[in-house]
Amino acid sequence: MITLTLKEQPNVPLEAEVLSPDAMAALANDAIRALPVYLGKKPCRVDDFFTVEGEASDELEIRGDARKIKWIGRGMTRGRITIVGNAGMHLGAYMSGGTIEVSGNASDWLGGEMSEGCIRIRGNAGGQVGAAYRGSRLGMKGGTILIEGTAGLEVGMRMKRGTIAVGGIVRDFAGLEMRGGTIVLLSGAEIRTGAWMMRGTIVSLKPISLLPSFLYACTYNPTFLRLYARHLGTLGFTIPYEEQDGAYARYTGDAAIPGKGEILIWKSGKA
Amino acid sequence: MTGESGASLERRGVRVVDTFAEAFDMRAARVLITAQSPAWARTAAQCMTGFATSVIGCKVEAGIEAELLPHETPDGRSGASVLLFGFDAAGLSSRLLERVGQTVLTCPTTACFDGLPQAAERVIVGGLLRHFGDRFQSSKFLQGQRYWRIPVMEGEFLVQEAFGIQKAIGGGNLLILAKDQGAALAAAEAAVDVMRKVRGVILPFPGGIVRAGSKVGAKRYKKMVASTNDAYCPTLRGRVGVTSELPEDVNSVLEIVVDGLDRPAIENALSVGIDAACRPGVVEISAGNYGGKLGKHHFRLHPLLSEASA
Amino acid sequence: MLRITGGRVYDPANGIDGIVQDVCIADGRIVAQADSGPVIDASGMIVFPGGVDVHTHVAGGALNFARGLVPENQRVARKFLHGLKLRSGIGGMTPTTFATGYLYAGMGWTTVNEAAVPILSAKHTHEELHDIPIVDKSTLLLMANNELVLDLLEVGEVERAQHVVAWLLWAAKAYGVKAVNPGGVAAWKWGKNATTLHDPIEGYHAVTAAKIISGLAGIIDDLGLPHPLHLHCNNLGVPGNVTTTLETMKILEGHRAHMAHLQFHAYGGHDWATMRSEAAAIAEAFEAQTNLTCDAGAILFGDAVTITADGPWQHLLHQLTGRKWGNLDVENETGCGIVPYVYSDRHIVNAVQWAVGLELLLLIKDPWRVFLTTDHPNGGCFWRYPEIIQLLMDADYRKEQIKKLHPEAQKRIVLADLDRQYTLSDVAIITSAGPARALGLSQKGHLGVGADADVSIYPEKPNNDGVLFAYPRYVLKGGEVMVEEGEVRATSEGREFIVRPSYDEQIVEYIRPLFDKVYTMSFENYPVEIERLRRPEITTCK
Repeated sequence: MITLTLKEQPNVPLEAEVLSPDAMAALANDAIRALPVYLGKKPCRVDDFFTVEGEASDELEIRGDARKIKWIGRGMTRGRITIVGNAGMHLGAYMSGGTIEVSGNASDWLGGEMSEGCIRIRGNAGGQVGAAYRGSRLGMKGGTILIEGTAGLEVGMRMKRGTIAVGGIVRDFAGLEMRGGTIVLLSGAEIRTGAWMMRGTIVSLKPISLLPSFLYACTYNPTFLRLYARHLGTLGFTIPYEEQDGAYARYTGDAAIPGKGEILIWKSGKA
Repeated sequence: MTGESGASLERRGVRVVDTFAEAFDMRAARVLITAQSPAWARTAAQCMTGFATSVIGCKVEAGIEAELLPHETPDGRSGASVLLFGFDAAGLSSRLLERVGQTVLTCPTTACFDGLPQAAERVIVGGLLRHFGDRFQSSKFLQGQRYWRIPVMEGEFLVQEAFGIQKAIGGGNLLILAKDQGAALAAAEAAVDVMRKVRGVILPFPGGIVRAGSKVGAKRYKKMVASTNDAYCPTLRGRVGVTSELPEDVNSVLEIVVDGLDRPAIENALSVGIDAACRPGVVEISAGNYGGKLGKHHFRLHPLLSEASA
Repeated sequence: MLRITGGRVYDPANGIDGIVQDVCIADGRIVAQADSGPVIDASGMIVFPGGVDVHTHVAGGALNFARGLVPENQRVARKFLHGLKLRSGIGGMTPTTFATGYLYAGMGWTTVNEAAVPILSAKHTHEELHDIPIVDKSTLLLMANNELVLDLLEVGEVERAQHVVAWLLWAAKAYGVKAVNPGGVAAWKWGKNATTLHDPIEGYHAVTAAKIISGLAGIIDDLGLPHPLHLHCNNLGVPGNVTTTLETMKILEGHRAHMAHLQFHAYGGHDWATMRSEAAAIAEAFEAQTNLTCDAGAILFGDAVTITADGPWQHLLHQLTGRKWGNLDVENETGCGIVPYVYSDRHIVNAVQWAVGLELLLLIKDPWRVFLTTDHPNGGCFWRYPEIIQLLMDADYRKEQIKKLHPEAQKRIVLADLDRQYTLSDVAIITSAGPARALGLSQKGHLGVGADADVSIYPEKPNNDGVLFAYPRYVLKGGEVMVEEGEVRATSEGREFIVRPSYDEQIVEYIRPLFDKVYTMSFENYPVEIERLRRPEITTCK
């Protein structure tokens, strides 16, 4: 286990993609301390901002309010990062394996364009969760992002595959331009959910306002959701599915494209 | 009681011949069918495994392996697992497509999943059935597996894209030689009852029992693939041209055929089956083989008997 | 003074084909003798005149729009970090300005012709060109959809049109005239195109694509411009466009012309399912018309960004592929469309396109008439030219690549039957001597006395990947070593070649009121002041 404790808050955000199991797994303690992090365009050392204990491990623990530390876990392929505190932008961006867990909040671009792995945020996340970076055709291609709190704008924008589950409410444009995958909203969303959606599934356990280009299909209990319920259940997120508890109203859209996506909104109680 | 090779063994007055059942390399698939109730899962499974007694005439051998409780199925609903046996993956693949498509897809409330997730060889089933959706189908990819959702009038049919195929063994068997038809059937039914509880095997014939056991080829008709096993037919004892294998007091013989995913499963089934068949009115328990020349899996009866409690 | 000794010199313009001899340089030019100064020992190396790219898109509004449209490319592109001598930049498919210069020079190319400049954004183009270090530049001005010109052709006032064209050339401080999809981009302002050569352009009654082509070709010949009409034919990219191209060549009879990226105009078939190569038919007709030159516009498999003034074609490409699309309208003058694209060897149409470029280069026998380009970045990036050279020089390698194509594509091309291999002399012609001559740049493309000392020195043997031209050992520009062992050692400001054609000054009185009526810009702000060009080289015509 390598433990990095934030000792000095950077005055501008710190670019710290070296804070990743892939970068540190083979390094001795002094090599870890010397890894470069960027304060603006100025190269600094990890130990300018963190105390470092341990070495040569693919398990990292980062302690402190790291909300200004960007790119933690960027591109990681293995191992584990535990953040006791908050995390900055681009946490786990491009990751293709391993797990990240944050006790506090995460910022924008959580898991941007990730392809595998698991991220869990106990607090809130920002916008563009699992999203495509500007200009990219696709966002996340796999993996799981779990947010126990709220999230911001454009959750899952242009995602292709993978699962995002959010416990608190999300802001506008969840599932914007979605290409596939599944977004589960346990507390619903603000407006324009699923805008420009091509494929994929958005599940909302609370009523949400829908664009006029989402058309009602039916109310039913889809079998596939039981698979997701079991999977998410093991991860601590409960979604209902039994007929005796209620059913999902299915809306297809976004008809403006036309898209083949769906939004499933839970209606509790018997029809 | 144990015996040396060559000697007969007895259990409850029934002689167990020191012979072996000769079984063959096959390929198998396992299909998990879930539904809203055990009855509907059973209905789909029975329909799917109908007309599947022998690869020779039915192109596949299939049966219900077990009924499954909700916690045993991928979607947490009641279900049944079905095993299918064929000679090769390509053939099995076609049979799966036909049978899931015609009997599971069409049955109310069902969903269909692969039951051999560890099998390295995969064949596409849901990935082809999806065309029934006429491009209105969609899929979900979860934990490394793709599932197709085919829109149907009832709602949605959920079927896994790919199913595993593994090596398996087919043609394990027991012969129950009894004093009369009633005794043979009672013994066979008792055997089938306990053999059905064994996981990893199916008994493909009607009720698990073959009343018309066969031999390879035919003596009189050149082109027949199989014909009645005259050596074990009671009405042919004494007939010119027939070398009967029947002991003196045997008037009816029934066969139980077992297909299984592996040796231990078949051994287990045969063992509990032999024991259950040793009942009043049964003269001898034997097994069918071809001198060991055709099938590479041999199940000697005596070792199986020693396993079961005397 | 500087001397290059021991190298095998290829100077086809002066008949030198691989002779080991000295090249002497003084004051930025080739001279007969150099008695002092450093010596570059080029033993085991080949010495070429610096490359001349006759058709590329590297600067200006369209390119900048493209850069903005593809931030995902910038994220993964090669990074140029600034240093004592180098400015920072990003490579990739739409390199930034400084990176463009370093990439071209790094390959041994020293002169670059920006092939499509709208007059309205000429100032922007010159600013960006100025920021492209080392290489010399020229520009071609978009004219074939300019409504001032089309309106005059409509009423048959060709002479007045000539003055307007000349005035515009000088106003924009350009070098030559570019025609893109004549009439088609004007029609695009109505949502239409110009797919036939003899039907009136949308919004007009008499002007046709044919009239624009012959009108402009005639005007340019009369103006005596060093480079002829540079033409991107109608129906680019469309299956069956071979008929349009052959018809266009007929219209050009009697005129000089340069046919741009001819690969995109050499397709048979009648739809995407039947699209095939008609390079043989094009090559045959092209060879017969000796007043024509062309550039290949070959494609390479991989990423590209299509950037062209051919607005309607780009909209079609967007609809075909679903890729994102940017469209710019340039008021009264032209337009622009951008669609990022990927050429795949699995795709039958792309495979045919790949073959067509090579077929044209191999079937047109005279290397002085067909030049190496990819219509960067439309067909592929310019820094991949060495890959094309390898395909031209090594028939066995080429045939191996053909075998990898989809079998259906292999039925639609003739490339597998072609055994010709380019010699080093051929390569020097299609990459330098030929384009320099076609552009009318007499001091470029050769190593004779008086030429600009733009010299590229390559190792004689290919690298481990079999590529010969990727890493020059030395690149000299104006007699100074700019690149050594693949690293930029020094930079300089390139020059810009512009023409000053003659026109009647009175034409301003014709243009100004029209301008005030239809343009949103003030007339005084329209022409580019000569002071904006730091190192112009003016060719006065007639």
